[in-house]
Amino acid sequence: MSTGGLRRKARAWGRRQLYSFFSSLGTLLSHRLGTLLTVLVLGVAMVLPLGLYVTVKNLRALDLQQQDWGTISVYMQPEVGAEQVRSLADRIERERGASSTAVSPEQGMEQFRQASGFGEALSLFEESPLPWVLEVTPARPPGDDLESEVSRLSEWLGQQEGVDLVQADFKWLQRLAGLLALGDAVVTVLGVLFSLAVVVVVANTIRLDVASRAEEIQVLQFVGAGNGFIRQPFLYSGFWYGLLGALLALLVLGACLFYLSLPLARLLDAYGNTFTISGLDGREVLLTLLSGAALGLLGAWLAVQRYVRHFRLD
Amino acid sequence: MINFEHVSKRYTGGVAALQDVSFELAAGEMAFLTGHSGAGKSTLLRLILMLERATRGQVIVNGRNLGKLPSRQAPSVRRGIGMIFQDHKLLSDKTVFDNVSLPLMIAGVRYPDIRRRVRAALDKVGLLSKEKSWPLTLSGGEQQRVGIARAIVGMPPILLADEPTGNLDPELSRELFNLFRQLNGQGVTVLVASHDLSLIRSMGQRVLVLANGRLADDIAAAEIRGGGS
Repeated sequence: MSTGGLRRKARAWGRRQLYSFFSSLGTLLSHRLGTLLTVLVLGVAMVLPLGLYVTVKNLRALDLQQQDWGTISVYMQPEVGAEQVRSLADRIERERGASSTAVSPEQGMEQFRQASGFGEALSLFEESPLPWVLEVTPARPPGDDLESEVSRLSEWLGQQEGVDLVQADFKWLQRLAGLLALGDAVVTVLGVLFSLAVVVVVANTIRLDVASRAEEIQVLQFVGAGNGFIRQPFLYSGFWYGLLGALLALLVLGACLFYLSLPLARLLDAYGNTFTISGLDGREVLLTLLSGAALGLLGAWLAVQRYVRHFRLD
Repeated sequence: MINFEHVSKRYTGGVAALQDVSFELAAGEMAFLTGHSGAGKSTLLRLILMLERATRGQVIVNGRNLGKLPSRQAPSVRRGIGMIFQDHKLLSDKTVFDNVSLPLMIAGVRYPDIRRRVRAALDKVGLLSKEKSWPLTLSGGEQQRVGIARAIVGMPPILLADEPTGNLDPELSRELFNLFRQLNGQGVTVLVASHDLSLIRSMGQRVLVLANGRLADDIAAAEIRGGGS
């Protein structure tokens, strides 16, 4: 075939696409209520996994702010003095390879005063009632098995002279990490399930759409439309359903975050935290829209594939 | 242009709709296809449109042997045929203009050309003033003419009509047949299935008569004119 012929064919193809594109938009607009309901269902289906994803993402960010990953607080007995604390710190460094920071009773008092707001009341104490504290950060073991390293170190610390109490914040952090991993898994499971729901909802909508336009399809076949031309508007419809559903999900998510951000900020303020809740970034928004559109397209394709193939002229 | 060679069509279930039918319709020729209902007229038209495949024999349309074409070629065969139906088969949610433009949309014609050609086709059937109307607001005769405009807008070399006058009164039927003859005069090959014998006879064209799936008679135009009313 000559290049001119090819170019002409490509142009005709483009015009057909354009026609299908506008014809699908026209159909969606002419059935406003039906379209709206479908998009609503899709939006709700998509907002659930998205919402959970954002929640997990924020928890993770919160967790990253936590600097004392795996630190051990060693509370000394009240009579223990600076000298003995220093020598313990040295031994920790030498024998266990872990670094430590000593917090004197006065420093501890000062930190407590700032954090708690009991400033006036605390000044009644002539002398700090707090013991010396050592904040020990264990060395990362080669196998990265932080948990067992922390428990070994805690045990060793507990046996040292002058140590009153060893407290590892580690356990709950470990649990949080576990919960976050679970959250990730739940996001994945929900994502898959709700994606499936989106595909099924779109497929069913398109199937009904095809059935209600059986007459039109027949006429199109009579006047020489190929399967591609007949299929095209339905595929575009699926694309629009998915895209609009994703857009709605994003809007609902945004509204939810906005609604939650104020009380959450207040709550976190009370804990002296300056954490700000984060939504989806541009890449994630784009990905959401694209996935929505792709799922809609897939649903439409499945419906049309099944239907147009079995469509028989009477 | 349309060539049947010993064509038989047997539907699954054993009903023989056509048996050993042979005829040739030359380019630019016009013929009527008649016979009582169930004689095989619709089957014959469906074979030409590649809506069915012949069980035996060869159907050659516009130089293409339909038995040897894969099904995906059917749309391109149909694009070479303008088809007119008894029940018009217009889309009620599209305007007259949009209905007529369908074949051109499918062919991917440029919009300015679509406008020009749709209006030319509507002008030819005398409905240019109705281009923005909805099909259901038109009379039966007007709807049928819209159907004809849609059939000729793509300028196919072949025009098929299946009982086009089924719902029309004699006056309108005659007008319609005259329109077919006029189109035939412009070089289009026309095959019209109809059971309106008196009207057919008065047209003075070749007549193919089907009876029980067989071609019972093939009367030349000259004979009709000679022995006619």
